[in-house]
Amino acid sequence: MANIDLTRDYKPLDDDLAARRYFAKFDRITRLMVGVADEMEAEGSLSGLDSDVLEGYVRAISAAFKALSLKYLVSGRLDGVGQKHLTIDLHESGFPIFQELVTMANDAAQAARHLEGLPESARLKDEMIRQIVGERVVPTRLQFALSQRLYYQALAKGGVFYPQMHPQAQWLADLGEGRRRFLVHWAVYDSQLNVPVVYLMEVEDSGRKALPLDERRWPEAQAHLLAQSVGGLKLITIAKGFDTDFDDLHPKRLRRLHLGPMYSSAFTLQTGPIREVLDEAKSPVGEDWALAWAIEELESDRVELEKSGWFSSVEREVFRLDPFSGRGADTGATRMTRSLILPQRPFQVLAEKDPEGFRDVRKFVVGREGRVMVYG
Amino acid sequence: MADFDAQVRKSQEQVAEAQAKISELTSRIETARSKLKTGDDIEIDIENATLDDVHAHAEVMNANIAELIMGLDDVTAGFSKDFDEMRSKTGWESFVGIFAQGKSESMRQERLRGASIDDKLQDLIGKSDVIVKLLEGQLAILNQHKAKVESNLTETLTDRETTVGELEGLRASILAMDPKLIELENKISVEQDAAARTKLESELAELNKQYNAMVQDEQVKLAKSQTLERYIEKGKTWVDSLQNQAATQMVLINKLQTDTKQRVVLYDALTKSLKTAQQQDVAHRINEIGVQTDKEAQSAMAGIGAATNQRMAEMMEAHEEHMVFARKVLEQKAKADERFARRFQAIVEKHDKNLYGG
Repeated sequence: MANIDLTRDYKPLDDDLAARRYFAKFDRITRLMVGVADEMEAEGSLSGLDSDVLEGYVRAISAAFKALSLKYLVSGRLDGVGQKHLTIDLHESGFPIFQELVTMANDAAQAARHLEGLPESARLKDEMIRQIVGERVVPTRLQFALSQRLYYQALAKGGVFYPQMHPQAQWLADLGEGRRRFLVHWAVYDSQLNVPVVYLMEVEDSGRKALPLDERRWPEAQAHLLAQSVGGLKLITIAKGFDTDFDDLHPKRLRRLHLGPMYSSAFTLQTGPIREVLDEAKSPVGEDWALAWAIEELESDRVELEKSGWFSSVEREVFRLDPFSGRGADTGATRMTRSLILPQRPFQVLAEKDPEGFRDVRKFVVGREGRVMVYG
Repeated sequence: MADFDAQVRKSQEQVAEAQAKISELTSRIETARSKLKTGDDIEIDIENATLDDVHAHAEVMNANIAELIMGLDDVTAGFSKDFDEMRSKTGWESFVGIFAQGKSESMRQERLRGASIDDKLQDLIGKSDVIVKLLEGQLAILNQHKAKVESNLTETLTDRETTVGELEGLRASILAMDPKLIELENKISVEQDAAARTKLESELAELNKQYNAMVQDEQVKLAKSQTLERYIEKGKTWVDSLQNQAATQMVLINKLQTDTKQRVVLYDALTKSLKTAQQQDVAHRINEIGVQTDKEAQSAMAGIGAATNQRMAEMMEAHEEHMVFARKVLEQKAKADERFARRFQAIVEKHDKNLYGG
């Protein structure tokens, strides 16, 4: 790359302690996400099923972070070869870069083989003690081996967030006349924003065979949805495309949740009011962050019949768009809700300053004992 | 991309070969070291482990590295085909386009909606990791050998210090014997009594014997010190070469990792911008954007290739230069050694003459 550096936003966490703090922070944040999902369920903006699905993904994210923290636990202390650090995107993301997740997915595919080759943890610990007592040195290599073993074990156990979480369908209701309603949900790690994104789509299926059992349509639909899970595409484009390509699947409601970015005065670079808020809060370690959540939602307004070929016709959805869309940016969605999860201290500064851009943002405030409350 | 695996296998073989060469050289140095301990002559062994060997070995390594990079470039070349496909129509779509322009376009749009290079990106990252692991393995071996030879050298350096110390001690005692000899000789020249003279002469003979033994010892120690010095020089050259190779590997690993990161971002951004641009509200400008993106992608990719190649060439040149330099240094060193030995010999001779001149 002669003149442009495309990875300018990337930053390896080469300070061991900083990396641990980073993981500790995310461990806390991901646990809080579950609380936020519960809170949303309680106030009715998410259904019970939605919040269960969301919790599943949040748990997977948390497992991925745990695995990554094991992977990089000791590797920063190795001399020379093998020294590796977690790379995060520090601008408008705060999450590890896409490549870390892909590498982890590649590792997961080979976890079993790695585990075969690595010695048992009991043996490693035994050797460690021997090295500590006998040679009186820090057994860095052995610690590294053990951390890698634990990493692969965590991957082998499964349930971690991959760059692509393939679509799953949950039955919602039988609508009669051979129609069924499903909740199709999937998630991707957006490679451009470096943020996990969850998609929830309610779809009516008028096919002869139920969608998840249809070996012809289901894999095709899965591939289509994953290929279209691009952050740059508006919901209306995704839904329209899906509606066009699958005649007997009718997307009724499509939601997209961006579970990020994470802002932290210690780790990330940010611009605008959030920077001042975090700077002025001067929060103690572990409380200097804010996590943004955006939910885009697109609903079907009505159905029109469109001729397909000479004798048949297919239903085509017409989606309801934001009535105010002409005014601001064209969102391509029916509505958009932005939320911010942040600890008490930065929230107080935010409430005092009351910057304009944050007035219509819902704030989920985390109390000292981990309780989540909603403001705004 | 099917031959990437073959490429990796080939490279693995080459790495194994290179490692065998390194091990051989190190073991030669070590054999020489053990011979040093027993006091054998190490001349021949060390001469066998010549710079030529090191040089040839470095070339094997460089070829190997270059091939690995080319291999990965082949993988990335596959992406540009994908970009082309996303922008242009397939044969069938063009054919349909003759009869129904709209249908042809909607077919293309459908294909575009289904297009994804995520699996290819994963492939790229995976393969780059394989190469990096390979290089890291080699680097570890290099470092391991370097450490081995270095510890070996440290030991030898201590040995040499001891030898030099002994040598100096010997010389001091030789020097200290001089006045005694002169005194005895003077005594003999003035002694009149035959019996006393005989006694003095036998005393002188005894002293001379001691003196000769010491001088002989000095020669042995001198030779040992020189051998050790030669050994150290060879060892140093080898360590230097290992260090240099390790540095090359490290630069390369770094470069590969950075390149892969950049490539992932670039290809990903290109695909997604293509998808987005072609699907979303800019239909009338599709062509323009397409062409523009294409140009950028091509120039960016050419940039990656050129940068990699340039870096490789530079590294190879630098390595070559280094090797030439090392050789020159060694030659100069040899000359200096020779000069030193010659001059030293003259001093020894002069010294000897002074002693025996009486």
